[in-house]
Order: sequence, then structure tokens, then C-alpha cells
Amino acid sequence: MSTMALRRRDQIGALSSRSVLSLVRQPSLVVPSLVFPLFFVALGTASFARAINIPGFPKVDSYLDFALAGSVVQGVLFGSVTSATALATDIETGFFDRLLVAPSSRTAILVGRLAGAMVYGLAQTLFFTVVLFPFGLSIQSGFLGLIAMMIGGLFTALAVGALMSAMAIKTGSSEAVQGSFPLIFILLFFSSAFFPRQTMDGVYRRIADLNPLSYLVEGFRSLTIDQLTLTAVLQTILIPAAISVVGIGFSLRTLHNRLAAS
Amino acid sequence: MTSTQSPIIASDLVRIFGSGEDEVRAVDGVNLEVTAGEVFGFLGPNGAGKSTTVRILTTLLKPSAGSASVAGYDIEVEADAVRRSIGVALQDAAIDPLMTGTELLRLQAVLYGIPRNAQHERAGELLERVGLSAAGDRRVGTYSGGMRRRLDLALALIHEPSVLFLDEPTTGLDPMSRMSLWEEIRRLNNDGTTVLLTTQYLEEADQLADRVAIIDNGKIVREGQPEALKTDVGAPTLLISVADDHVEPAREVLAQFGEARPTAEGTLGVGLTQGAGDVSNVVRALDAQGIVVEHLELRAPSLDDVFAEATGHRLEGAS
Repeated sequence: MSTMALRRRDQIGALSSRSVLSLVRQPSLVVPSLVFPLFFVALGTASFARAINIPGFPKVDSYLDFALAGSVVQGVLFGSVTSATALATDIETGFFDRLLVAPSSRTAILVGRLAGAMVYGLAQTLFFTVVLFPFGLSIQSGFLGLIAMMIGGLFTALAVGALMSAMAIKTGSSEAVQGSFPLIFILLFFSSAFFPRQTMDGVYRRIADLNPLSYLVEGFRSLTIDQLTLTAVLQTILIPAAISVVGIGFSLRTLHNRLAAS
Repeated sequence: MTSTQSPIIASDLVRIFGSGEDEVRAVDGVNLEVTAGEVFGFLGPNGAGKSTTVRILTTLLKPSAGSASVAGYDIEVEADAVRRSIGVALQDAAIDPLMTGTELLRLQAVLYGIPRNAQHERAGELLERVGLSAAGDRRVGTYSGGMRRRLDLALALIHEPSVLFLDEPTTGLDPMSRMSLWEEIRRLNNDGTTVLLTTQYLEEADQLADRVAIIDNGKIVREGQPEALKTDVGAPTLLISVADDHVEPAREVLAQFGEARPTAEGTLGVGLTQGAGDVSNVVRALDAQGIVVEHLELRAPSLDDVFAEATGHRLEGAS
């Protein structure tokens, strides 16, 4: 590995530790993204227990099995907004300038910041699964499926975090990033997070068909309610991984433009 | 020393923000040459263009026109080499409040490529140097303003840079913290570090800088050694306060003794052409007109006088 590559690796490592540390040291930012998705699962399981008998609903033991995927994606989305907000705060306070004025790789600055979201995305997936097990959750794809889901959670966090980071870099405003939260929430409701697309019709169905979150959620869901298949693993990992590549490229481009214009 | 050896050289730097009617020339043709081993003071009020110039020289901002080299490297073509050579403490000491002093120093050490086995020792040395050894393991959020500035300075020194940029390092600090930071800057300079320091405090420039550039509206209006600049202004300034209805007659009397000098509101100022010996004559002339002097003060030429003479307004009390 060249000296440059080694330095970049060390920089990504150090900046990643910082972003993970900032999450660990701010429990008030972390707790809502763990509690709210569980709240939705509890509400859904209590209210829609009989919905699993609707024609078109996939074969599941309980609504809880169906709901896990939605809660994972929901939690990861919340976590990614937190991560992008932290990046915007770095810009606002001038800490970002401290990083830029050092001989640091621009990719390291960005990926280091997103690493917190990635670790958190992985941890959230495990957390929701472990918490919901005593309430009857079953994962049909087994332990390997759970590992695939955790990796999927990591990449989903990276993908959404990267896209949100582009917004953070563009606006340099933590308020603007936080302001996007309701939009993401609406996007989640117009996806198959809480009900299968097969049970929808009209405009709602068309939006859910076009909504990329539907496909993200369905990847996770097929690992929960179906046997382990390569297609399900690829859908869970490759879709967010591909969005991550686009998102990071987009964020780096935004960063480049910001530096040129500022 | 020849120009090629000077660690900071700027030629006709221009930075424009906005366009059309909103266009602002924040830096408007700045030329600078800071020689090795000197403390160069960049003095001016808020919005004069000091920080924008520093941001250009430290590669955070691209110039709209002009060129500059820092530590022998072109700021645009060799930006990464510039970053490796300089230490920078920016305005407001942006430090992550969730991290400890030691953690921040170690992060900074990684960013500057300091070998892992040397990071801990270097962080310890720097904390000791700036008097923060006892607070190194505390989160920065618990630091006072002065402690943050000292940590900021330590962060800028992690790779022992030969050129140091300090953007308003003591703004908002109490006098004790300010003095302690001044001591550290002097020590660094004695060790051979070239320092470019921006400040809005006249005393700071006077105390620390070997040479001073006064900037106003994006342009350098005076440059030189503080003593030489003050000598050029020449006459001491006599400041008087009189009752409101005596202001105009007093102004006419003062005009007989020298040129009016810009002052804070409610005060009249005159540069005494004949020197301090003329004070008694001024008092007698005012008395003869029945003007009652409420306050009188004679000031030796200061950098504020240099600033006032160059720009037509005073820096002191402006910010």
C-alpha cells in the first residue's frame, strides 16, 4: 500500500472513531432512533394483527415478522439524518475548516463522518432483532440472513447518510438537514414499510412502486419472512451499496463545488 | 533575504463575493511579503478583509485573482504541500466539544501523518507546553475560552510547522488569558516560527508584531514597523471634550494648532504640529474664547493614529 493510501486509511480510521464516539457521547441523539421504530412495530403489531390475512399479504407468522424490515429501515433513516446533521454542525462551527486546512483526504473526511452512521446502522439492525425476539420475532433466513441484514443496515446507513451529507455540504446548515426529516418520514409512509405493495392500489400503489425505499425494505423483509436466497441477500446489500457509491460521488462533487465557490 | 525565501508572499490578491450589485471585493489587491522568523501583524476592523486573506493563504478559499506562495509552495497548484507546511488556528477556535484535548491532538496527529508511536508523546508535550496537562482528559466542552484557544494553538503546532497563521487568536479573551497566549506566541517566534497574526487589537499588534499591515475595505493602507509607522504620523494627538454648544468654537480654536484628527463621537482631536509643548497654548486659547474644557488628554502617536490617518476613522472602539 502506498504512503498516501496508508495515510488515507489512518485518517478514515481516526475520523470514523470520532464520529462513533460522538454518537456514543450523545445518547439523547441516539435514543429516539431506537425507540420510535420499536414504538411503530408495537403499534402495528397490536393494531394490524389480523391484516396478515388480507389477500396479497405475504405468508407470515405474525405482523411482527413483517414489520421488522420497516423498523430497521426507519431506524437507519433516523440515524443517517443525525449523522448528516453532525456534518452540517461541523461546517457551522468551523470544525470542518480545521479538517480541510489539514493535509487530509477529502474522501476520508466524508467517509469518516459517515462511519458513525454505518456502525450505528449495523448496531440498530442487531438491536431491533434482539429486542423483538422475545416477542415472537422469527427470522426465516437464519443466522446468515441476520448477518446479511446487518451488512444491509450498514450500507443503507451509508447510502442515506451520503445523500444527506450532500445536502449538509450544500447548505452548511444543520437546521436544513433536520428540516428534511418530515420529508423522509412521508417517503417511508409512501413505501411498503408498513404494508405490502400487493395490498395497495391507486396513486398510493404507484408511488410505492416508484419509491426506492420500498425495494430497500423488501430486501430486508424477504430475509425475515423467506428462506435464505442469494437474490434476497443481493437485494438487501447491493441496492444500498450501489446507492452508496452514487451518494458518496455526489457528496464529493458537492464538496468540490463548495470549496471552489466558497 | 530575497523574495524567493520569504515564507509568505502574496501578489495582487483579490477575492470577490457575489456578483452584479451584490458584488463585494472582500480582498482588493493585497500585496504581502512576510520574511522568515518575523511576527507579522494584520490589523483591521471586522470585515476589513483580514480573515478572507488568511483563508486564501491557508488554501481554504481560492482567490478571484492574484497569486500567493506559502512556505515556498503555490497556494493553488501545491495546496497539499502548503497544508503540510503550515499551522493554522482559525477564528473562534472551532473544537469538537465532545472530544477531550488529548483525543483532538491525536486526531490532528493522524491528519498530519505523525507516526502512531510518536502521537501520544507529541500530544503530551503540547498539552504541557500550553499548560493543559491536567485538563487533557477532560471534554473540551468543559474548557474556558482561554483554554480552548490554548488547545487550538497546540493543535496548530502538532507537526512543528515553520509558518503559523493565527486568526484573531485572543478575540474575546480576558486580559490574563490574552497575556498568556502572547507569551506563547513570543516563545514560538523565538524558536524560529514565522507568524502571521490577524488582530483587531492595537495593543496586540504593538506588543507582538515586528511589522504591521493595516487593512481597511480589502486594501492594505499602511505597512511597516509599528514604531516607524507611529513616527511617520508625527504630532501627538490632543483630545478634548467640551459642552455641546462649545463644539464648533472649540473646533475653530483647535484648527490653529494643527490638523483635526478623527476621534470617537463627543470628542475633538487635533494633531499638535508644535508638539506637546503647545498644550498650554491650546488651553489658554480655549479659555480666551470662554470655552470650558471638560476633559483633556494628550496621546503619543499610536497605531490607532496611524490607522486614523490612513483611513479617516478610528479602529479603537469601532469593533
